[in-house]
Amino acid sequence: MGWFSSKNDDQRRADAEAAERMGKWERALRGGDLPDFVRERLADAAAQRTPWLSTMTPAELLIVRSHGARPLATVTGTCWFQFGRSWTEGHVSGWRTAISRLVAEARACGANAIVDVKMRTSAAEGSSMDYTLVGTAIRFDSLPPAENPVVATTSALEFVRLLEAGIVPTGIAVGAEYQWLTDNWGGMSGSIFSGNQPLTTLGNFWERVRRRAHYELRQDAATQGNGVLAHTHFGQLIKQEVEKQPDRYLGRHIVVGTVVACRPGDALRLGIEMVVDMNDEVSPLFGGEREVTMPYLNDAEEGAI
Amino acid sequence: MTGTANIPAHALERLKGLRGQGHPGGIFTSDFSVNEFLLVRKAGFEPVGLCVGSCIYHVGIQYSSWSKNQEMTVLSQAMYHARELAMARMREEAADMGADGVVGVRLTVKRQEWDSNVLEFVAIGTGVVHASGQPTYKGPKGRPFTSDLSGQDFWVLLQAGYRPLELVMGSCVYHVAHRGLFKTLGAIGQNVELTNFSQALYDAREIAMERMQHEATEAGAEGVVGVELHEGNHNWQPHIIEFFSVGTAVTPISAEHTIPDPQLVLSVNS
Repeated sequence: MGWFSSKNDDQRRADAEAAERMGKWERALRGGDLPDFVRERLADAAAQRTPWLSTMTPAELLIVRSHGARPLATVTGTCWFQFGRSWTEGHVSGWRTAISRLVAEARACGANAIVDVKMRTSAAEGSSMDYTLVGTAIRFDSLPPAENPVVATTSALEFVRLLEAGIVPTGIAVGAEYQWLTDNWGGMSGSIFSGNQPLTTLGNFWERVRRRAHYELRQDAATQGNGVLAHTHFGQLIKQEVEKQPDRYLGRHIVVGTVVACRPGDALRLGIEMVVDMNDEVSPLFGGEREVTMPYLNDAEEGAI
Repeated sequence: MTGTANIPAHALERLKGLRGQGHPGGIFTSDFSVNEFLLVRKAGFEPVGLCVGSCIYHVGIQYSSWSKNQEMTVLSQAMYHARELAMARMREEAADMGADGVVGVRLTVKRQEWDSNVLEFVAIGTGVVHASGQPTYKGPKGRPFTSDLSGQDFWVLLQAGYRPLELVMGSCVYHVAHRGLFKTLGAIGQNVELTNFSQALYDAREIAMERMQHEATEAGAEGVVGVELHEGNHNWQPHIIEFFSVGTAVTPISAEHTIPDPQLVLSVNS
């Protein structure tokens, strides 16, 4: 009897602890804050009371240490977002929320930068999606902690090289736009009899959608730096046919990029040396496929040009 | 340990978490990787903006003779015309933003699910301007130069003493004749070359390359680097293929140019 009751007590205690943690998470996420146990973990990491956790390879650790910086902690940001009114705008909100949570964690451990930030999505059933960012917070020993740590999608190796070249990767910018176009007159997509011709109305509509998305991207980047390296482009043009009504087209476009800050015209101090590797085929210089942080599938047709 | 000695002061300021004080020059966009960005700057150019041109095109219909090798001129024209429109719009965007040229141009074709005759063509690249004190390069007729070379290849090309002029291309859509029943039966169990197939592939490729070469001549180029030959079928009948050749037409920067010798290395950590 005592055996059962003691298990039940343990069980109850564990349940209560779990419920408390959930409550803390809920309050923290709602208030744009971090739960106290996360704060504690990050504070311990910042004060070097606990071992650091990092996504870096040994080579990356070497370059970071040789440039007066040290890894502090693995920091993350997650936002599971449901699309109600708009799928396109939902992507922007999901990413921006996840980014602000990632930065909050880095701030809590007194970092100067988050490097090697990977963007991940996982689609769930129904109309919702998970946006997650994972990276390593680093601190330069000679610098004070930053109020706004920079977010770099580059690896530590590239991050340091960029810094030396006077280029600071500062954040992630997202731009998106969707618009509807109604085909009142019919034949916007041409008929099979219409021969070779560009579809100008549809084409201009599509250009507008994309331009607007790029404009949004620039607006988002303007607060962070002076350039965007837009690595991800995703666009869809969808035709919607409704009975007894004119056809409608939905155009939606999302652009995601790494924001950089640099001074235009700065001369690069780094020298570049051309080398020819004497290895046959297996040279490590050739490398393999690079891992890209690409949360969207490439929307171009395979092998198409 | 070098510490932060090699990092410029303004970069360190930024790492202290101070927000940038606004950038009077505005924001540039680009689809460069960070390495490309670095090398393009090293080559003496600054990106100004992403240049995109697109064209949604209705491709006409052409019927081919079942047993004849022939070019499908309607389709060839469509594929060429649509790409040309997309490229022209991209170049226009580049000229509007005052770019000297466009590097890293990618051409894509996308099929639309709702209509098999409608294709979307996109040309996308990064517009660049020369940094102050650097020589400027323009394309033919004073227009921005275009090139499908990556930032890395762009740097190497300039090192080699050449500059890009124009992205040149040639297209040929070709119908490969079916083999007649008697011929097929006659060749059962034999090792034979299917000459009509060989001929068709040769002819189509040849036409595409000739057209590209013609464009390069028009541009006043010395040669074309990075030529790629693509073979594709954009939702057509099985015996219809497109040969598409594309490359960057280049011209020497000056008559005399010394090329730095590349260092030979043997990496031992494989």
